[in-house]
Amino acid sequence: MKPSRSRKQIYRDVIGFLAIACLSVWLVMRGSDNIAYSWHWKQVPRYLFQIYDGEFIAGPLLLGLGVTLQITVVSLFLAGFFGLVTALLRMSASPVGRLIAWIYLEVIRNTPLLVQIFFLYFVMAPILDIGRFATAVLALSLFEGAYASEIIRAGITSISKGQWEAAHSLGLSHYDTYRRVILPQAIRRILPPLTSQAISLIKDSALVSTIAVYDLTMEGRTIIAETFMTFEIWFTVAAIYLFITLTLSGFVSFLEKYFPQRA
Amino acid sequence: MTPMVHPESEQYIIIAEHLNKIYPGSIKALDDFTVKVKKGEVVVVIGPSGSGKSTFLRCLNGLEEVDSGQIIVDNIPLDDNEKHRLEIRREVGMVFQAFNLFPHMTVLENINLAQQLVRKASRKEATAVTRSLLEKVGVANKADSYPEALSGGQQQRVAIARALALMPKVMLFDEATSALDPEMIGEVLDVMRDLAAEGMTMVVVTHEMGFAREVSDRVVFMEDGRIVEAGDTEAFFSAPQQERTNDFLRQIL
Repeated sequence: MKPSRSRKQIYRDVIGFLAIACLSVWLVMRGSDNIAYSWHWKQVPRYLFQIYDGEFIAGPLLLGLGVTLQITVVSLFLAGFFGLVTALLRMSASPVGRLIAWIYLEVIRNTPLLVQIFFLYFVMAPILDIGRFATAVLALSLFEGAYASEIIRAGITSISKGQWEAAHSLGLSHYDTYRRVILPQAIRRILPPLTSQAISLIKDSALVSTIAVYDLTMEGRTIIAETFMTFEIWFTVAAIYLFITLTLSGFVSFLEKYFPQRA
Repeated sequence: MTPMVHPESEQYIIIAEHLNKIYPGSIKALDDFTVKVKKGEVVVVIGPSGSGKSTFLRCLNGLEEVDSGQIIVDNIPLDDNEKHRLEIRREVGMVFQAFNLFPHMTVLENINLAQQLVRKASRKEATAVTRSLLEKVGVANKADSYPEALSGGQQQRVAIARALALMPKVMLFDEATSALDPEMIGEVLDVMRDLAAEGMTMVVVTHEMGFAREVSDRVVFMEDGRIVEAGDTEAFFSAPQQERTNDFLRQIL
């Protein structure tokens, strides 16, 4: 429970918030005045969508959002898969498995994502004969998978030894023990950090615009190049990212509430 | 007729011979330790903490591995064959000091789990068995509760029911009442007493000397991984042969 606050404190908070909000708007306005920026907010909606004869036509920003969502959803599943496999390999009895997992983690976590994307795009993609979209998905899922694996491993090792012993003493196989006893408990515990990782993935997906994948960011850049509505478009793009990430957070909070953690 | 893997397999349901185990950087947990248990026998293992009692119990169903020695349960050798290990675990139920119920499952699901996964029972069959087991241990009204909502004594009784779900031939109790509040010890011991009366083969590590004396057929007193004294319960308590046994009994009685 949060500590209850007096009415006076709440007023003070609201006034403080409004003051900061006004200051931010003022700074932006002043900045745009200084460079003699002319605002064209009215132009923005048609880059989102248009309606012709009652027919809904998605604009470039919404199309870009679609691509961003596709990339992130596929990458999320793949990253989860890579993360789980790597976590299990790191905890496995096989020295080779542990070595492979270790190399993967160290390489991915100690090189910039942008470099990884370029490496995959310019070096691996021609060899593997995969397109830009697949390259983008592969790069993101390999990158986030490395971080996910550490989260998953921490979650699994946090489950008490007694749970393993109880499951084993009942004659459950190693696989069944993981599937029915350990992972369900671990997943519940790692849901919050894993959500942060998923939000990182959504944000990091903006980097795939560098290999000309027409995601939300790339569409934004293209529109700006054509219209010079730099402020309006970047504000809009940022708002859309914010909308997706906040929606995801909200959804996970809902999940946590409906599947309470049991000690 | 399956061939006997050990000449005494007919006679003893548990054969543990010449067990040795050393934990890295510590004294021997088991030192040429030999115990054999007949079907239907209740054997109590006592001894000071760190004497290897729990290690012995946990080696019996392969939760820990011995460095050397031979374990045979119901004519199945516990060896490198993973199949044997799983077979033995089906025949041996274990109850832990910390209960170790699965917190994310209801009581019913806890007890159904192994039946459905290991014995491949349908949910309906498993549930019927579970309900009768819960009836037996006296927590039938808690089937749909989660373990966190149960008292320690109730949790441990559920854990016993869970260990019984695969109809084991042997039950191992590893200090099953040590984590309980005093007023709950009795209800768990009652369940164990009933089991013994039904003829269940039991190996019990406990500090409850009253229970040991009343229920067990044989007592094994161990220290530093070795047997100090073993014998029939009545003789053990009334006329211990070893000075060390006398000291120990004086301390804890």
